Amino acid sequence: MDYLSSNKILIVDLETGQISEDDLDDELVGRKIGGVGITSSLYQTHKDKEPIVLGTGLLTGTMFPASALGVVSAKSPRTGNLAHAPFTLKAGMELKYTGFDYVVILGRSPKPVFLWLHDGVADIQDASDLWGADVWATTDSIRRAMGDDLIQTLAIGPAGESGSDLAQVCINYWASGDCWGFGKLFGEKNLKAVALRGMGLLEISEPEDFVDQCFDVFDKIKGGAFAGRRGIEDILSEMGEKDASEWLAPFIHRHSACYNTPYSTNTFVYLNEDSKTLTEPVEPEPGFLINDPCALLAFKRAGFSAQNACRVLKACSKYGIDPAAVAELCEKSGQKDTEKIEQSFSDLKGPVAIPDGGKFSSWSPAQPLFSDFGVSDRSAYLAWWTRRQAVAYLFGIHPIFVNMSPELSEELMIEMFNKGTGLELSQESLDTVIDDVCS
Amino acid sequence: MCAAKWSKRGFRGDREHSSRTGIARPNNVETNFYHAYASINQKLAQGGKIRYGEDEASVLPRAPRPLRIPRIGLYTGSGTSHSWLWFVELFDRMLFHDIVFLNEDMVKDGALKNLDVFAMSGGDTIRIAEGLDTKGAAELEAFIRKGGLYVASCAGAYLPLKSSKQYLDRFNFVDIKIANLSKTRPEIKRLASKATTAYGCDYVYHAVREDVLLRLTGRSPFTGVSTFLAPLYGGPSMITDNTSEVLAYYAGFTDKTQFLVNESLAQKTLIGRVAAAKTGMGDGNLYLFGPHFEHPHFPMANHLVATAIFWDMKKDRENREISEDEIILEGAAKDKLVRDIKREISNARIVSVGLEAVPIQWSIGCKIYEPEKIRVFLEAIWKRIDNLERLRRIRLQNKADEQLVDCACKVKRILRELKARIDDCLETQDIASDLFDSLRRLTMGFLQIYFNSFRCNI
Amino acid sequence: MRIDVDALKCIGCMACEMACGYHRDDAFALLSSCIVVYRAREKKDYFGVVIKEEESLTIARPEGLEIKRIGVAEEPDPAGQKKEADASAKPMLLREPCDLCNGMKYGPMCVKICPVDAISLVEEGE
Repeated sequence: MDYLSSNKILIVDLETGQISEDDLDDELVGRKIGGVGITSSLYQTHKDKEPIVLGTGLLTGTMFPASALGVVSAKSPRTGNLAHAPFTLKAGMELKYTGFDYVVILGRSPKPVFLWLHDGVADIQDASDLWGADVWATTDSIRRAMGDDLIQTLAIGPAGESGSDLAQVCINYWASGDCWGFGKLFGEKNLKAVALRGMGLLEISEPEDFVDQCFDVFDKIKGGAFAGRRGIEDILSEMGEKDASEWLAPFIHRHSACYNTPYSTNTFVYLNEDSKTLTEPVEPEPGFLINDPCALLAFKRAGFSAQNACRVLKACSKYGIDPAAVAELCEKSGQKDTEKIEQSFSDLKGPVAIPDGGKFSSWSPAQPLFSDFGVSDRSAYLAWWTRRQAVAYLFGIHPIFVNMSPELSEELMIEMFNKGTGLELSQESLDTVIDDVCS
Repeated sequence: MCAAKWSKRGFRGDREHSSRTGIARPNNVETNFYHAYASINQKLAQGGKIRYGEDEASVLPRAPRPLRIPRIGLYTGSGTSHSWLWFVELFDRMLFHDIVFLNEDMVKDGALKNLDVFAMSGGDTIRIAEGLDTKGAAELEAFIRKGGLYVASCAGAYLPLKSSKQYLDRFNFVDIKIANLSKTRPEIKRLASKATTAYGCDYVYHAVREDVLLRLTGRSPFTGVSTFLAPLYGGPSMITDNTSEVLAYYAGFTDKTQFLVNESLAQKTLIGRVAAAKTGMGDGNLYLFGPHFEHPHFPMANHLVATAIFWDMKKDRENREISEDEIILEGAAKDKLVRDIKREISNARIVSVGLEAVPIQWSIGCKIYEPEKIRVFLEAIWKRIDNLERLRRIRLQNKADEQLVDCACKVKRILRELKARIDDCLETQDIASDLFDSLRRLTMGFLQIYFNSFRCNI
Repeated sequence: MRIDVDALKCIGCMACEMACGYHRDDAFALLSSCIVVYRAREKKDYFGVVIKEEESLTIARPEGLEIKRIGVAEEPDPAGQKKEADASAKPMLLREPCDLCNGMKYGPMCVKICPVDAISLVEEGE
């Protein structure tokens, strides 16, 4: 695969330490498109060795709006079935530029390790010193050891190490779309983290046409339905919590976006620093980046103050546990004492609701946001959302943003795919792949 | 398998691809110089016969003698800055692949005897002279007197000028005076740390930096053009006597010229003064360039360097056989070496990119080094790794592979330590010196293997 | 004309950085862009934008814009020692300075692509 790709599938066997590479064939791309189309295929190929497959879409890391998605595909400890967890912020983009399009992780390492992917090189590194560390300390240690603050990590904390079904693979210091317990799989493999840094380059088949089209769609999006809205609080508001802005406002520091995503889906709250501070705070860990709207909403609906909700979210990310699951269990138990909640993490068990929508993460709200997409009947939301997510996970588009922007149509993505790769994808082929990944 | 793809612009010199950035770009005619010299070198490497000025060699002046591949030594020893990498770029683009990278010990041990050309770029002239010492000076003098060609810019051009200063006094090869010398330190407008250097009781001052306009005198072999540009980064403005031929004068400034002193002093110091001179010594010659004619943004100046090399390279030298100490790596052993180098260079490069805008600098000798320079060395390696990977065989000195990987590991380790210390607001001067020395050795070691390997894959 | 950045509007999406990278490399890559989103203080949510220009370095921090002249000596500090601007004579040495996307039909691509209008083209001196 010459375009929008590094043409590499990496296969790492943690048990033997063997690392090998395959080409990413045009034929596979033509048949499965990319993203979860190919991670699912690789999962099936290596099914016997309990694979964890990382991947990106062909549009990931490009100038196409919201091309921020990376995905982890594996068998969920919570459902027993193949499922997909999105990872965004800058991590999806970073994976794309490491020189690997897909990474298949097999077997169990005899000792704790982390996988270091950089510039087309894959190294299995000793992580004995990191075992037992929380997610924040893990990311800090890896960045310091490797000498770069821009390294992106997919890391687990104590929850993953101890085999909790609620364990989450976190991004750097923050939550991810892993509602499937993939943190437990990392722990079972003695895989503390995957660290990503790359300075690769993606060639484009028809660069001028591709970039022209990107600008066209950016222009349309800018004046679109979410103009003037920002942050996680406006997403909550759109989900029915009209007072969310007021509730969170005292703690909001700034809003930020995932890679090349026109809407700031992330909101940073300062918890032990004046949220109006503009200069670099002295306090090394002044707050928390909220990037999981459903978890925040669940805490709010469970009656938490904004401050306490944010404190628990922060504790969840340090421990590496799914905050939405914690919120659900707190609501059931009625527990609102943040310290007690944190202390209970090690014993926290389900049952928690299995996410709707089959294989796609409930981290992305199951409804249109800021625009109705022509889907006025709530009963049709799930089918609409499932297809929309499938498209996002195939091409590499942010799974929350895809619910905000009707401008990002399937037709447009097919066109971008064709201009970017020089291949010819049709709507029929896309329909087939969507059916395949949703079944 | 398709090779990995990396930024095409790892090096600011790689700009011939783009025509959009508004920075002076070589036009097609100028870019064709690279192809012209590459064709000559390729044909010679394949055993072809070419004469000066004829057929593939029409870029050179006519002469009734056959061309042969020059063996070029490039000085990379103590006191050099990163600018020798510009010579590397020129040699690589023009397919001069018989290159030997030399440090001061190798020069002192007689390595110049096997060369046709010895090239030296910028750095700290006094440290270079100190490193080469009396023995190195004698070797260099003997090399030139026996017909060798010394091609030098900037610090390399200062080195053989008449001087009574310690260390430099061993290199009094040519009777050329420095015009940018003053009894008092001139008033400096910018870049104070780069604008003056103490020179005994006097000061060498650098009136301008960046592009300057030069006018050729038309003396052979520099014929065919009248004016061209080259960048000045501290090189000399010269005053010659009748023992030297003037090849080019400083003729003007451009909108890219940065004035470090007031314009009238800059005018007085440079305009009408000698920018490039040729001096004979024994059977050999010295080509001394104030500006960096080897800088990769300046194809016309690069062309003149290549012309000088072919025109005045040593006339008679026996061909060297492969030394018994050299080994060839193929197959899995070659792949492993390339992979090991790639791993360590990537690790080091990742740290260096993170450091590129860190507001820190180190004073090493009388030169100022910024973190950005780290990347310059690493990119010179990185951009060539894929080429090395594609070669079927790699030729290197016995144990050079282990030494190279060890050196790369060391650079990575120091860089990570440097970053940690910067984060902790700790002193870094001591390890910065070690870092730049190791980077120089690493780059030199890698490039030696790179150039050697091209020759064994023809 | 020069590029101006309102760092408080910036959402750190890096669209500008990738667009600039495309301008430099005719492909998608970040290493050559002259506009860079500073994001090394992730836990503090302290981010901004740095632009390398021909003669200056524009540093857009949340608390305000600073334009440092490359290589121009600053006023003496209280200790009486002169410093180089930004202590670095050649910041981001290997990156080309901003050319306002000269020759591109889009104009400055970072301005065009910024989703929150944090980047604009202004007259020199504004």
